[in-house]
Amino acid sequence: MIQKKICMLGGFAVGKTSLVKRLISGMFSEKYLTTVGVKIDQKSLSVCGQDLLLVLWDLYGDDDFQKVRASYLQGASGYILVIDGTRKETVEVAGKLHELARKTIGPVPFVLLLNKHDLVNEWVVESPMVSDLSDQACLVSMVSAKTGEGVEAAFSALSEAMLKS
Amino acid sequence: MSGSLPDPSFLSVFDALIFQKTAERFDHLGDLPSWFPPPGLRQEIDLPPGQLVDRSFFLQHFLHEAEEWWESGKRGQCKSGLWSEPALFGEDVVLEATAVRHRSLRYVILQRFGPDFLPIQPLLQKAREEQLSHRQAVNQHERIEAQLGSRLAKSEQERDDVMAVLDGLGLGTIMLNANRDVTFISGKARELLQTDPARMIGRTLVEGSPWKPADSVRVEEMGRLPGSQRQVVPVVMDRKNRSATALEVEVQDDPRDPRKTILLLKDVSEMEALRRQLVGPTQFHNLVGKCPAMRAVYERIGDIAVVDVPVLIDGETGTGKELVARALHQLSPRHEHPFLPVNCAGLTDSLLGSQLFGHKRGAFTGATSDHEGFFESAEGGTLLLDEIGDMPLSIQTTLLRVLQEGEIIRLGESRPRKVNVRVLAATNQPLQELVDKGVFRADLLYRIRVARLRLPPLRERREDIPLLSTAFFEKSRVAFGKMQVLGMAPETMQRFLRYSWPGNVRELQAALEYALIHCRSEIILPTDLPPELCDVFPAVQSSPFLKSNERQRILDALAQTKGKRAQAAKLVGMSRSTFYRRLTELNISQEESSR
Ligand SMILES: Nc1nc2c(ncn2[C@@H]2O[C@H](COP(=O)(O)OP(=O)(O)O)[C@@H](O)[C@H]2O)c(=O)[nH]1
Ligand SMILES: [Mg+2]
Repeated sequence: MIQKKICMLGGFAVGKTSLVKRLISGMFSEKYLTTVGVKIDQKSLSVCGQDLLLVLWDLYGDDDFQKVRASYLQGASGYILVIDGTRKETVEVAGKLHELARKTIGPVPFVLLLNKHDLVNEWVVESPMVSDLSDQACLVSMVSAKTGEGVEAAFSALSEAMLKS
Repeated sequence: MSGSLPDPSFLSVFDALIFQKTAERFDHLGDLPSWFPPPGLRQEIDLPPGQLVDRSFFLQHFLHEAEEWWESGKRGQCKSGLWSEPALFGEDVVLEATAVRHRSLRYVILQRFGPDFLPIQPLLQKAREEQLSHRQAVNQHERIEAQLGSRLAKSEQERDDVMAVLDGLGLGTIMLNANRDVTFISGKARELLQTDPARMIGRTLVEGSPWKPADSVRVEEMGRLPGSQRQVVPVVMDRKNRSATALEVEVQDDPRDPRKTILLLKDVSEMEALRRQLVGPTQFHNLVGKCPAMRAVYERIGDIAVVDVPVLIDGETGTGKELVARALHQLSPRHEHPFLPVNCAGLTDSLLGSQLFGHKRGAFTGATSDHEGFFESAEGGTLLLDEIGDMPLSIQTTLLRVLQEGEIIRLGESRPRKVNVRVLAATNQPLQELVDKGVFRADLLYRIRVARLRLPPLRERREDIPLLSTAFFEKSRVAFGKMQVLGMAPETMQRFLRYSWPGNVRELQAALEYALIHCRSEIILPTDLPPELCDVFPAVQSSPFLKSNERQRILDALAQTKGKRAQAAKLVGMSRSTFYRRLTELNISQEESSR
């Protein structure tokens, strides 16, 4: 079975862990438990008739306390860049991580997820702010780990893109 | 040796899994830790611990890093960082791998931290939660701010809309607070006041407005009266170098707070200008010009006016002879009595005679009632006999007698009537030549030219053209409601200055009116001018080009006025008699002129 390593990248508390949890277990928890290190999960998917094992590297959020170690990105075939629609500053963090990824692993496919779409009334992120990133992403999607909206589709899209590249 | 290597079982105190890397394999040292096998391996009991490495995605990844580190020969240790891999090690289990070297031997130490074992976790958790809640508070703030902002924007928009409506109605708005200080000035009001709003805001009208203090006081006082007693306050603002602005100021209470006042300013300058025109076209000042020749004329007018003698006013058509006559009348002791201008051209003997001297009922066919002539009507005042060169000889004779005797006899009557009228005569023809030709009585000429005034043709006083243009421009744009036209292009003025102006000031006025009517932009361009001004280089009246051009212009004017000659004459800037003469000279037939 083909294995593909995918990194979850984004600022802290944007919902990376929640998105993975939603994908794997279909569950969601309101309670915030910060991810201290790298969290590794697996998910098997069938994409375009191909069975695929996604190895998901949920990296802790990049902030003043912890910096993402570039070496963790090595070997990834794609990544998921997550932005929290209710927090502007997560756009900037996503931009930096995207650069780091480009430098470390080159132009592998990635999807840009604007998470917490269930809170769309509180959104402050507008599409022009992310236009640089969206131009390069193979998919831009508004998702919600809480409701599950768009989550599976995002992973499928990335898998497809990875298989093609 | 001071001590032997401790038994590897000693390592069990760390509860860690220790591998030694040999060639291709991982052999574990000492006892297995208490947490081994982890949940992911429990089914496969006989699995050698080294296989754990193969099962862990993270360890696989880390070993690449460790390998590099071992090769690099660096000292110390290489740490993997904390990680979890629930599928293999179970939920809430965090591990860390450390690569070390002892001599040439390579080791990997695998440590496991339970949920309570990680002091860093609660710290990070707390720090991040705080940051999140801070962010949330900031977000909330910003949201409220944005909401308030958009509410403000909405009310500003509403206010702008109201202002736009007021501006559109030509109403300027000024708001005063309870202390009668200006708090707001709308765009239109700024325009009307022509003043920097910063000079008015926060001040009273008396302190800040460009109005005369008395006007400001009247506006303020009006505000103190109960609404039903208030009236519109007229305010005229005279300003240097521009025409006066006449305003009507309506004082209203602010419906939201009756202690505050709203002033509505309405520009009534146009009405005011029209009113002034109605009242005062007979004033001395209607003569425009400051060239020496005109100054001399003014001076002479002043001198002659007070001497009660006939005056002959000599000047080309359109030079303003009638204006001079009016000025003479106004400045004379007769000014409270009538001034009557009579055109002597184009009338038959009997008609002109009866007009001037009156007639008795039945004096001639059509004389159905007694009629008082101009001499009688102008009793005590002044009579202007315009185009006196065109006066039939028989009338000349009668006129001479009237001037000598001071009495008239109505046609068909024999009883003379005393008249007290000052006679002024105007001509654009050289009367001496007419005398030589025998069509004008010499004795009459001597009689009427006791005092003489010659008006220079416009081409002899070109320096006055800008002044005249401006005067007519201002007058006409008001009259034609063409307030959007603001001025004349320099090229237009140049043409004016170069043109020969055979029709003199009247032609200039007509040309300006023509241009104003045709003007579609904010300034009058040369293309707006009548055709004869479009090519003014060889500006000689007798050029055949101009002649043919003039013919066309007269025809155009006739067409425009549907054959009405008096109006057409006005349009082309000629007196009626000149116009009639030109009609003949240019061979414009009756049918051609009424087409
Ligand atoms: N309303 C809402 N909350 C979410 C969503 N995704 C994550 N969260 C919450 O956001 C917080 C951080 O999520 P987490 O997955 O730990 O973020 P990570 O730091 O990026 O892994 C948690 O309290 C989640 O419950 C979402 O789609 N909607
Ligand atoms: Mg996380």
